Amino acid sequence: MSSNRWLATGNYFTSYKEEQRIFTTSLDRSVMGVFLCVLFSWPLFFSIGNKYMLVVDNILVAVIAVIGLNLVTGFAGLISIGHAAFVGIGAYTVASFCRVLGDSHPLITHGWPPMIVAAGCMGALFGAVVGLPALRLKHLYLAIATLSFQMIFQWTINFMDFFDQGQTISVGRVFWVTGEVARNEHYLFWYYVILTVIVILGFGVRNLLRTRYGRCLVAVRDNDRAADAMGMHPGLVKVYAFGLAGFCAGVAGALHAYLYRGVGIDSFTLYHSINYLAMAIVGGLGTLQGAFWGPLAIRVLDLQVERLSEWAGSHVTAATNLTTALRPLSFGLVIVLFLMFEPRGIANWWRIFKSYVKLWPFRY
Amino acid sequence: MTHLIVSDVTLTFGGLDALSHVDITIEPGIITSIIGPNGAGKTSVLNCISGFYHPSQGTIRYGNRNLTHASPHQVSNIGIARAFQNLELFRGLSVLDNLLLARHQHLTYSIFHALIYFGKASRLEAENRAYVEKVIDFMELELYRKSMVGNLSYGIQKRVEVARALTLGPKLLLLDEPMAGMNIEEKEDIVRFILDLKKEWGITIVLVEHDLGVVMDISDQIYVLDFGVVIGSGKPKDVASDRTVIEAYIGEE
Repeated sequence: MSSNRWLATGNYFTSYKEEQRIFTTSLDRSVMGVFLCVLFSWPLFFSIGNKYMLVVDNILVAVIAVIGLNLVTGFAGLISIGHAAFVGIGAYTVASFCRVLGDSHPLITHGWPPMIVAAGCMGALFGAVVGLPALRLKHLYLAIATLSFQMIFQWTINFMDFFDQGQTISVGRVFWVTGEVARNEHYLFWYYVILTVIVILGFGVRNLLRTRYGRCLVAVRDNDRAADAMGMHPGLVKVYAFGLAGFCAGVAGALHAYLYRGVGIDSFTLYHSINYLAMAIVGGLGTLQGAFWGPLAIRVLDLQVERLSEWAGSHVTAATNLTTALRPLSFGLVIVLFLMFEPRGIANWWRIFKSYVKLWPFRY
Repeated sequence: MTHLIVSDVTLTFGGLDALSHVDITIEPGIITSIIGPNGAGKTSVLNCISGFYHPSQGTIRYGNRNLTHASPHQVSNIGIARAFQNLELFRGLSVLDNLLLARHQHLTYSIFHALIYFGKASRLEAENRAYVEKVIDFMELELYRKSMVGNLSYGIQKRVEVARALTLGPKLLLLDEPMAGMNIEEKEDIVRFILDLKKEWGITIVLVEHDLGVVMDISDQIYVLDFGVVIGSGKPKDVASDRTVIEAYIGEE
């Protein structure tokens, strides 16, 4: 039977391998291809200035961190309130090299790709160690264990001479094949690096999710007694989930360090942990897409709130400090509203939108 | 063929003996039923065998392996699968994924293979998918392959539960009340599956069931428990005429 691989209908799988595909039709695949091309090429046509490029970079770093958090909280169902600390572990791995070798040592400026991987591994190591209580604890108690790690992390950095008591430790400018990355190209350069990391990580995680290493996460979330009876060690799976989350966080941390060219404790506080959790919830827990929607939505919201309060401040002098109040308020409100009305997050809106477009002009 | 031997097993919860000095031998290739009134300790026996409880005394041996202190995943990895009485399915996943999860130990690729996917991981996934299809075909679940388990009817969920245990590729299958809460037609289906499993797949079956009609019909060997003690055992015919068993079930005359 001849079938048109571009159509969503009339295509029947004739082998199990065909069914394993990520993109079931050629259309899906091309849309993804075009989308990636656009992502890689738009900076060549539009120039949005360093300020907004930094915002974009920031969102992308958060995407990497939230992919990790989504794996542990969304897929494996283990609430982690210490995710910023794992990101911090990655960043401070880079920072510790800077402290020992000096911030412009070739290892840091030229060897940044292995450095990022090393930071990821460090994050994975810490993730696995922090995940150890998962062998015994469940639900909220486990969440408290991760919270305690966040506290220990902040406390340790704040009191360690080696890390300059949490003050910013600078990281040198990196080199690319064309030489040192200049100040005006810095954010653009890191945009490409982070985007590449996301593409690699995204496909990696997508692959993971269609194998035993992804299914076991969902199994311990849904029913860890049955998971045990199915021949997997639920405790180890949980530790592995934390390790995985730690790896993504560590990579995000290292990218954060290089992007800001400095590491300070201010970026890895409890506030940020909750921020990541909010991104995961708003994006959609248990979906890979959610990790992309969440950071985008929360960061854009942040930006709009800032703009609103700026505008209000210019009209009413008493409202100059509105930002400090509005930010946590809007942020909390969004989490509550999402949990109440759309616990499946923006990813669900996207799903609804897609099925609407697919069926248009029919209702069902 | 390996025997499963439960010898002198005592299981205590605080001061209560859920099982006391239970001796059960499960011979390969036949259907062994464990029956008894409510709270007799039938499920406790299965829980001890499958590693969810560890007996406070006595041993459980399968062939030459000691299962007394094994954990559930170790037990399932040596070929003893368990279907739960109260559905313990992964409700958020499709039937297919539920069954694929049971192939966990048979998917032997490493995490790096999984990250790249193409090659070994893809091949093994396809092979195990074929096995899963065999089970789906046997249990007549084709219609529900892609449905979310949580949305299926109770009878079908029960069948998925048995199918999932079967997907583990066991030599010994522990079925905990697979027919509870089913109508006559669904019961007949399950009985048919059980008999076919014995005959065609050569799987040893341990059945815990309340429907005595079914038990007497299909079992080769029956153990009767009451208050954690084995009060009778033997062929269905012998058990049905055993005075102590009748007393336990119907009461003294």
